[in-house]
Amino acid sequence: MLDYLQFVLAPQMVTGLSLGVAVVLVALGLTIIFGLLDIINMSHGEFYAVGAYLALSLGALGINFWLLLLLVPALMIPIGFAVERGLIQRVFNSPDRHVATLLLTFGLGIVLEDVLSLIYGPNTQRPSTPIRGAVEIFGIMLPNYRLFLIVFGLLIVAAVALVVYRTRLGAMVRAAAYDRNMAASLGVPVKAVFAGAFAFGIALAGLAGVLLAPIYSVFPTMGRDFILLAFTVVIVGGMGSIVGAVAAGLGLTQIQAISSLYISPVWSDPIVFGILVVVLMLRPQGLFGRLGRA
Amino acid sequence: MVRRNLFAALPLAILLASPAATGARAADPIKIGVDTPITGTYAPIGQQVRWGLDLATKEVNAAGGIMGWQIQLIYEDEEANASVAVQKADKLFQVDKVDFLTGTVNSGSTLAVGQLAERAGKLIATTVSFADSITGDKCSPNVFRVNARAEQQSAALAAWLAKDKPNAKVYSLGPDYEMGRSTVAAFQKGVKERGGTNLGEVFAPLDSKDYTQYFGQIRAARPQVLYTSVAGNDTVRLLTQMQDFGLLNNMLIVGASGTVTSQNITAMGSAADGFVTGVGYSPQIDTPENKKFVEAFRAEFNTDPDLFAADSYGLIYFYKAAVEKAGSTETDKVRTAMRGLEWPTPQGTKTMRAGDHQAVQKMYVVRVDKGKFNIIGEVPGDQAIGPVTCTRW
Repeated sequence: MLDYLQFVLAPQMVTGLSLGVAVVLVALGLTIIFGLLDIINMSHGEFYAVGAYLALSLGALGINFWLLLLLVPALMIPIGFAVERGLIQRVFNSPDRHVATLLLTFGLGIVLEDVLSLIYGPNTQRPSTPIRGAVEIFGIMLPNYRLFLIVFGLLIVAAVALVVYRTRLGAMVRAAAYDRNMAASLGVPVKAVFAGAFAFGIALAGLAGVLLAPIYSVFPTMGRDFILLAFTVVIVGGMGSIVGAVAAGLGLTQIQAISSLYISPVWSDPIVFGILVVVLMLRPQGLFGRLGRA
Repeated sequence: MVRRNLFAALPLAILLASPAATGARAADPIKIGVDTPITGTYAPIGQQVRWGLDLATKEVNAAGGIMGWQIQLIYEDEEANASVAVQKADKLFQVDKVDFLTGTVNSGSTLAVGQLAERAGKLIATTVSFADSITGDKCSPNVFRVNARAEQQSAALAAWLAKDKPNAKVYSLGPDYEMGRSTVAAFQKGVKERGGTNLGEVFAPLDSKDYTQYFGQIRAARPQVLYTSVAGNDTVRLLTQMQDFGLLNNMLIVGASGTVTSQNITAMGSAADGFVTGVGYSPQIDTPENKKFVEAFRAEFNTDPDLFAADSYGLIYFYKAAVEKAGSTETDKVRTAMRGLEWPTPQGTKTMRAGDHQAVQKMYVVRVDKGKFNIIGEVPGDQAIGPVTCTRW
């Protein structure tokens, strides 16, 4: 029994945790873009891929991995800014905002994926793991890089939550998202705040790309892998709630990890999306969301 | 192969001297449709297929083509998805009017395109698909397979395993579709027949991003040997994740021939070391034909060929031999010519079995050592092939 706990259940929960942090990282930018700004960003996964490819290219130029953690998000910010100003704003005020942004970003995602495939080719590339080796905790093998990812990922989430909920900048974003006319009349530069918040979300997607590339490899369609799970996490957690996204991300992946010990892991996706349907039926605002609040 | 080309040139010279002898066919090139994955998880496999076909086509065309006709390859992207493969094959048959079709990788694609070929009255051949059913219970008079199927591979691998690790406890992980189920079933049968134990199996969807959730069931079973038939980019993720979590330390990994190839091995690094497979080809095969092929391939594409490139390369020579024997590109005549045909390939002479359209060839047991595919055993073609199970003709 103890043996089973140590060699089967515990490693499974730890691997579930590391997947959970990865999902939360991808979902974090989406929480801001989809949850706060109310833009259905179907190309979020492709921006995650762009981040990973930027890391790959810059890494090949000899730039150190730790520097990339700063450099790639910094490069993603102008891209995000331009996308928001050049594309999203054109359809944002249309009566069918959800449909329009969904279709626009969906198309953008397809274009980005094909561009990546044209530049880099369709084959998978795998950047070397920046931290080698593994630690053994109570007989559980955990790769050092996954351990780093769990700790660093949670720190990033905490930092983003701090910015959104505890700073003047965060308050401006939330105010602009809640009622842009009122915020504008109170002197909030709404346009800049929107573009900036969107760019911040894109930068987070890029950061997730840098962090996850050594684990999941880099290939043009990599964005598709996480996007549905990330949307599920944002919706189940509650739109715009960072705490909710973390709880949903870690919770859903634990359910996946533990259930796949007893039934075929192929069922983990139906289970997660089944939970999504149940949450939408019983608690449409999500676990930590409040209806009527952006 | 050098000698063959000389012989092939002889009737060619006669034919060129009398163009009327070529019959009804005009001087148009022979069109071969290639319905292969250019994107998706099997893109690395499709790449080798293209390289193999391109190289052989270039050689054949430079030597005068097939009975004076040049070969033209027309590519379409099947995305390793059966429904896409069918649409693209339909386009190749109806719009491009191809004489012959090849390239399908996903076994489901091969089966679906085979049904389409029957309706269109055309012949197709796969150079990659493993599923036994393609030349077994779902065989088709219009479908040929020039590569080794799952049973041939597993016969070679299981025989080696029984010798190297007698009575091994084996767990299997395959991709969740026709090929995965077929390869796992074939290997489990081979293990059981030779006194080993099957602890269980699990199937992961094609293109799984994270295999760590499958490790729980593998850990719980505590196998000595893990058999896997994932391929392409999936193998990269499976093996590197297993290495990261220490699962490779006390476990022997064996698998299908397409699992670790020249095309995906660089992305895995040391995670692929020690992997053993039963396969119909290795760049290390020590024959003059293969050395010539590997040299030409390296010169052209700057990388090593894998089994898919070798079998696709051989396919062009298979079709050439069949058309020359038939003296025509008409479906019925070419089909008759293909049955029982012996033709030269980089891995030696292959024979197309008439009873089920499955190529018979020598099989190798290959182990990956520091990125090299070293041959550690051989099984003669007739011992690996198994009986004909096709009953349609």
